[in-house]
Amino acid sequence: MKSLSNRRKALKSMAAAAGLGTFSSSLAGAFAASQKALGPQLNGKINHSVCKWCYSKIPLDTFAQECKKIGLTSIELLGPEEWPVIQKYGLTCALPWGEGLTRSIDKGFNDPKNHEELIKGFEDVIPKVRAAGYDKIICFSGNRRGMSDYDGIRNCAEGIRKLIPTCEKHNVTLVMELLNSKVNHKDYMCDRTEWGAALCEAVGSEKFKLLYDIYHMQIQEGDVVATIKKYHKYIAHYHTGGVPGRHEIDETQELYYPAIMQAIVETGYKGFVGQEFIPSRGDDLASLKQGVTICDIA
Amino acid sequence: MPTRRNALKNIVAGTVTGAGIMSISEVFAKNKAVLGTKLNGKINHSVCKWCYGKIPLDSFAQECKKIGITSIELLGPEDWPTLKKYGLTCALPNGAGMGIEKGFNDPALHDELVKSYEDIFPKLKEAGYKTVICFSGNRRGMSDYDGMRNCAIGLRRLMPSAEKYGITMIMELLNSKVNHRDYMCDHTAWGAGLCEMVGSENFKLLYDIYHMSIMEGDVIATIKQYYKYIGHYHTGGVPGRAEIDETQELYYPAIMKAIVETGFNGFVAQEFIPKREPLASLKQCVGICDIA
Repeated sequence: MKSLSNRRKALKSMAAAAGLGTFSSSLAGAFAASQKALGPQLNGKINHSVCKWCYSKIPLDTFAQECKKIGLTSIELLGPEEWPVIQKYGLTCALPWGEGLTRSIDKGFNDPKNHEELIKGFEDVIPKVRAAGYDKIICFSGNRRGMSDYDGIRNCAEGIRKLIPTCEKHNVTLVMELLNSKVNHKDYMCDRTEWGAALCEAVGSEKFKLLYDIYHMQIQEGDVVATIKKYHKYIAHYHTGGVPGRHEIDETQELYYPAIMQAIVETGYKGFVGQEFIPSRGDDLASLKQGVTICDIA
Repeated sequence: MPTRRNALKNIVAGTVTGAGIMSISEVFAKNKAVLGTKLNGKINHSVCKWCYGKIPLDSFAQECKKIGITSIELLGPEDWPTLKKYGLTCALPNGAGMGIEKGFNDPALHDELVKSYEDIFPKLKEAGYKTVICFSGNRRGMSDYDGMRNCAIGLRRLMPSAEKYGITMIMELLNSKVNHRDYMCDHTAWGAGLCEMVGSENFKLLYDIYHMSIMEGDVIATIKQYYKYIGHYHTGGVPGRAEIDETQELYYPAIMKAIVETGFNGFVAQEFIPKREPLASLKQCVGICDIA
């Protein structure tokens, strides 16, 4: 512990020194120095997770080992059959998913015809989430199909409210993802933060929150930091991705992720940030490490 | 010259291989060592005077020259002689119109607006300038289509004269969410629709990166989709409109690269409100946008 605290001090002075630079603080320099001091140890302000589907070529076993080396503590968007694999490596699943309709993006809670099957599916998986020691599960609004915003909120709220007692009993939060409906998920309904926040109020329980996907929301509405500051109490999870293109979150794209991470930390957020970019350079794990580093603010 | 340029290229290439986001301050420091105050020439740098209200134009012009800025903008005819003393241009002059809230979307204002712009076109031409700023006005309950139609009807009256004097009228895109409630020209798609309706190369848009990132996001994709309608760019940190550095959410070098890749030959004007020492901030932000 002593040596760790010394290493932390060394890191702090490096970060402070980097901050004195003229420009966008010298991240590469600060990172290189902190790597030397800390090895794979990260700063602890952001809890790092990653979405497995972006690394589909790498078997989960191998991927879990590599994630540990980088300092990630969670691999997410995994179902019950995959949880034992990551548990072997002491990793958690910050945002699990279920099976069947519960995992469907375009068919969700906004259509009352789906409610029975969705409720059955979530009632089935929520106790398993709890048994695995996890506390969240992802869900979706479904596509709009001509429905008004208000009808969509009402329909979603009616369906989700039926699940809240189960969520409370097992201490599991349903987390609905915000996705862009402009480029990737045409017609998806939960595509604006303010709509999602209104739905949270309509459901009226701490067991229903939003996944603010920074990539999707920058494409759909912009104004990321101000939106996070305004709506953070409704947000239980974050995803990343380079804009445009959903690749690495580095200098090849328009968002400056360290400032966004700083804003997230300042809201008092204690959850995870899941990397969800599609690596484009051939060495997927190097890209993942870079993405984690960019978000690992001091 | 070729040696300095090559040295610069190597510096940039060297940093990209490092882990993490490219180390801008290192690149900049090394660039400075090699090039002095010389800038890279891919971006033409301008600055909006109103953000430096306390500094007299004369001394501001001298400081801008030292930084490598070649234009000071949003200035009217009374200020143009001062710029000329220092060999600076005015990439986007003002001096006509009735302000931001009263613009071309209101037909009742067309006669007065047309007269005002007809008056300034010859003066702009005489000063050697090629653009002038204009605004849509506030919405006041008007539909998008009625607003577009009204604007086009008014602007088309000015196009023959704009063409004659070689002046492009540039309408600013502003956010109506935080700074300019009810302003009509608040979406790039709407502005592009208006450009098609006016149907002249002498009417274009000012894409303000700060305003549009607040209003609609997706900056690079929007610039790539609509660049043929864009005649000018403004900057500003999001949120807060302060320095465009690591204190805010946009990574400006990537946005500048996208602008250069569209073939843009115009100016990018700094329009942030300095929170720190104003001239040091201005120099910093020009440096951030001055991609190699």
